[in-house]
Amino acid sequence: MSKYRHVGTEAQRPEGADKLAGTARYIHDITVAGMLHGAIKFSEHAHARIVHIDTSRARALSGVRSVITADDVPEVRYGFMRDNLVLKKGKVRQFRDEVAAVAAIDPDIAREAVDLIEVEYEPLPSVFTPEEALAEGAVLIHETDAAGRPRTSNVVPLPCRHASGDLDAAKERTAHVVEGTYTVPRIQQAALGTSGCIAEFDRNGNLTITTKTQIPFLAQRDFNSILAALGLEGRNVRVVVPAVGGAFGTGLDTHAYEYISILLAWTTGKPVRILYDREQEFAYLSPRQSASMFIRQGCDAEGRFTFREVDVVQDNGAYTSWGATYPNVMLVAATSLYRVPAVRFDSRIVYTNNTYCQAMRGYGNPEITWPIESSLDDLAAAAGIDPYEMRLLNSNQPGDVTPMGLKLATCGLTECLDRTAARIDWKEARGPERRTARGVGMASLINVGGGGKIYASDGSGIILKLDDFGHVNVAYGGVEMGQGLHSALTLMVAEALGVEPENVHINETDTATSPWDVGTHASRGAFMAGNAAVMACEKLRARIFEHAEKVYPAEVERNLARLRDRGEDVSPAGFDYTSVTRDRFDLQGGRLFVVDAPDEPWLQIDLGRFLRAVHFTKEGGVGTIFTEEAFYEPPTELPDWDRGIGNMSASYTFGVQGVEVEVDVDTGEVRILRLVAVTDVGRVLSPQALRGQMYGGIAQGVGYALYEEIKTEEGRILNAGFTDYKMPSAADLDFPIELEFVETDDPYGPFGAKGAGEPGIVATAPAVGNAIFDAIGVRILDLPITPEKIIRALREKETAVAGAGGG
Amino acid sequence: MSYDYHRPRSLAEALDIAAATPGARFVAGGTDLMVQIHKRAAAPAALISLRHVAELGGIDNGARLRIGSSVTLTELQAEPAVAAGYPALIDSMRPFGSRQIRNMATLGGNLCNASPGADAAPPLLVYDAVVELRDRAGAREMALEEFFVGPGETALAPGEVMTAILLPPRAGDVRSVYLRKARVKMDVATVSVAALVEMEEGSCVRARLAAGAVAPVPKRLRDTEGLLVGSPLDDATIARVSTAAADEISPITDVRSTADYRRHLTGVLLRRALERLRAAPGEGVL
Repeated sequence: MSKYRHVGTEAQRPEGADKLAGTARYIHDITVAGMLHGAIKFSEHAHARIVHIDTSRARALSGVRSVITADDVPEVRYGFMRDNLVLKKGKVRQFRDEVAAVAAIDPDIAREAVDLIEVEYEPLPSVFTPEEALAEGAVLIHETDAAGRPRTSNVVPLPCRHASGDLDAAKERTAHVVEGTYTVPRIQQAALGTSGCIAEFDRNGNLTITTKTQIPFLAQRDFNSILAALGLEGRNVRVVVPAVGGAFGTGLDTHAYEYISILLAWTTGKPVRILYDREQEFAYLSPRQSASMFIRQGCDAEGRFTFREVDVVQDNGAYTSWGATYPNVMLVAATSLYRVPAVRFDSRIVYTNNTYCQAMRGYGNPEITWPIESSLDDLAAAAGIDPYEMRLLNSNQPGDVTPMGLKLATCGLTECLDRTAARIDWKEARGPERRTARGVGMASLINVGGGGKIYASDGSGIILKLDDFGHVNVAYGGVEMGQGLHSALTLMVAEALGVEPENVHINETDTATSPWDVGTHASRGAFMAGNAAVMACEKLRARIFEHAEKVYPAEVERNLARLRDRGEDVSPAGFDYTSVTRDRFDLQGGRLFVVDAPDEPWLQIDLGRFLRAVHFTKEGGVGTIFTEEAFYEPPTELPDWDRGIGNMSASYTFGVQGVEVEVDVDTGEVRILRLVAVTDVGRVLSPQALRGQMYGGIAQGVGYALYEEIKTEEGRILNAGFTDYKMPSAADLDFPIELEFVETDDPYGPFGAKGAGEPGIVATAPAVGNAIFDAIGVRILDLPITPEKIIRALREKETAVAGAGGG
Repeated sequence: MSYDYHRPRSLAEALDIAAATPGARFVAGGTDLMVQIHKRAAAPAALISLRHVAELGGIDNGARLRIGSSVTLTELQAEPAVAAGYPALIDSMRPFGSRQIRNMATLGGNLCNASPGADAAPPLLVYDAVVELRDRAGAREMALEEFFVGPGETALAPGEVMTAILLPPRAGDVRSVYLRKARVKMDVATVSVAALVEMEEGSCVRARLAAGAVAPVPKRLRDTEGLLVGSPLDDATIARVSTAAADEISPITDVRSTADYRRHLTGVLLRRALERLRAAPGEGVL
């Protein structure tokens, strides 16, 4: 039996009923009196000089309240490298560049007005691949940096590299080497809830923006700069987060549409809402980066890794988001997935005239795990070792300090490997009895599980407020976006404070009422919230017990009086309730009691009654109420990116996925027969939320492996919508997904838990690729693994075999 | 994005409105046209709904099977006469959109939309379907094969409406099947094929082959099907047929697939379709 009363239980999701009933309020459901509707005019060129913008017809349209271009409003720079302008001036660098915007009394008029804006362009030479952008004499996408200094190349100045161990010596000891260049495509985060915001100013120049974001406090900081540009420096920015229908990383940056709604609210003096529909979401919101990754790794004769080399080239698109720091996270797996004594990692991020990219779940980790885990199977084949045995042989172990300096307080990788192999019937499935074109594959993962420090603070604050009735209101700056943060946090507060989960209420995230939080990303939400909650709950309990010393005797006497009124004979003999000291109290399930006599009903005080007794004191007393805050900053380091060293997370989550596939060798179709995912999450907090995270991540992983790709032609997106951007639907996920969890009880985690938001997506693609390799002996290096690529590879294999036979 | 919406109660009324309203378009289920309008890919001056025109509904199993053009795909799927006589048409309905789409979309709409990959087209082509068209001057019949003119283009004259799809009765050892492939389960077809053979004493006496999404229109493969007549459904014949089809189609490379893969897939699907017909009287597998 669990030592916990609430943690690990199958509690209902607190926000679930409203979401199911359609009563949760997403940005699309919110209107404000007097609100106008904004729409944006986007570029029609990948790279062009703006010669002239004619807004006269748009301005003349009835119902239009404001039309703005870069000439009408102060210049506002934004973005991770501040290389983007809210409204473009001089030139456009990608198809979706914002050149003008409209506010009108209804959305159709706003769109019509946008169509009436005429922009004259003079096309410029463009580059659409990092190779083209890096070629000598390539056109410069940004002639200067944000500070106006001239730039000489299209490389984004964000160094991230690593070198550890003696690479040359390691190569000497190497018996087998494999190498390859693997690629991953741009993909869409494709959240069900599309993007949108409402911006409004009060008459004092303070801004409130209700917006779909994962970073309310960093957004607040970003929006301060636009207030400064508008001459409102020092005014307040309040960021309110409505119900969020999935974000998957799209909320890690502030976006042009948010700044534009602010500008339109300022020019009109009215609240302005901008919403993207599905096609706009595809065309005008940043997708996940594409990348090309060269890997070379070697092992000794026994199959132990000797070295690993990785060179990453990432297509940034035209501007820079937080997503440009993917290599920082790629370092984790590149240096620390398995014990590798010598590692070299280099990365380059390159501007192109493609759509600029941003974060998505896993943040570099699904990318880098694709080459690492695919090439591991090739290496095992070269060494004549079973790939599962090779993984076991090289598995990380608890207590390891990796070449990056990651301190693995707990590590369940070996157990995950064993349980995956057992569950997927590894030996039998790869054995001689198997059916033609069937195969199994597995892939491991390491993921940050205790925050991921890539910012000055990786902390989270929390405020717990008890009311007069024993309810706890929680103000937390993290964002519930469907992942189950509120489920996990509710259970942890209930557990740590000693109340029932239904008495825990988590407030809407609002910078005006929630304490600072760096953002909900990097699988950090529940880990941070839990640690902060435990700290605040301890403070609350200490204060409750301190006051209990004073009010407890009188409250027990009230209990006794009530019982006697009912004619019950209660004898308090044998227990002195008049002088219980604070260290003898406990609070559980909303009842205050004494640990020495926990089961006597007359010695138990309902928390609400207790709180009222302390609040509304008898004559002459001094009352109090109970509110406590805490701020948790994990014991981590901001890595030195030039060396790629630093313990960026407090805990590390490990996992393994095993997949069995059948390949139709005539059509090239891959059918997944079953998928097993075993994950070391430290501790299961909310089983329902955790399963949801795993299923969702795996579904996205299957999409990454087999289906998803944003197709472009000279920078223009060809499949902006679900008609031609194919994700797996429930009908495609028609195979069993079997989940198991390893509980390693991490010392840094709240109740031992490690972050689990991202791992689901990380290892799926290489596990599928390895299963296909096992089934038909071909390896596809470029995601997604489409039927067409399989047919082509099978033909090449046939030709090679025939050629070898003939020669 | 504004237009007048007409809701006639009879065919005569619908045709009168059409004649009096330049730029109007008929709409039945709206599962394609409304999407186009919202994407601003179509901007009709007016819509004339056919959903309340009783003459266009219903399935009548007479000398020929007459399917009203506004019969929904869900209604079609539930019709025993279709399941019994024209199983490939039922097969083509299963992967068609989603249940919600099938509840709205009509058979006539699928054909009048004239997508090269229209799911219902290949089976109807192999069943020698005839479409009935009507305007204020009267009705005419036309082989479905002639109805398709190009991508999104049909033989419908302005103001003319498709009223019914007519299928000849089934007799003898006729076997038919529909197969399709798409990128995911809920998707438009990458390639679809329908095959029909009439067998007598182990030999094929009549053959029909059609393919979708591999030519500007849903395509009857006349040359290829000729190879089947007079032959048994043996491996050599099937191999010959599946190879020959490549010469009769003209697939394109687009965002969904490549010409090369579509050509390959057409051969594979034809081979599988004929192998299935050889094994047992037509029952489709998706």
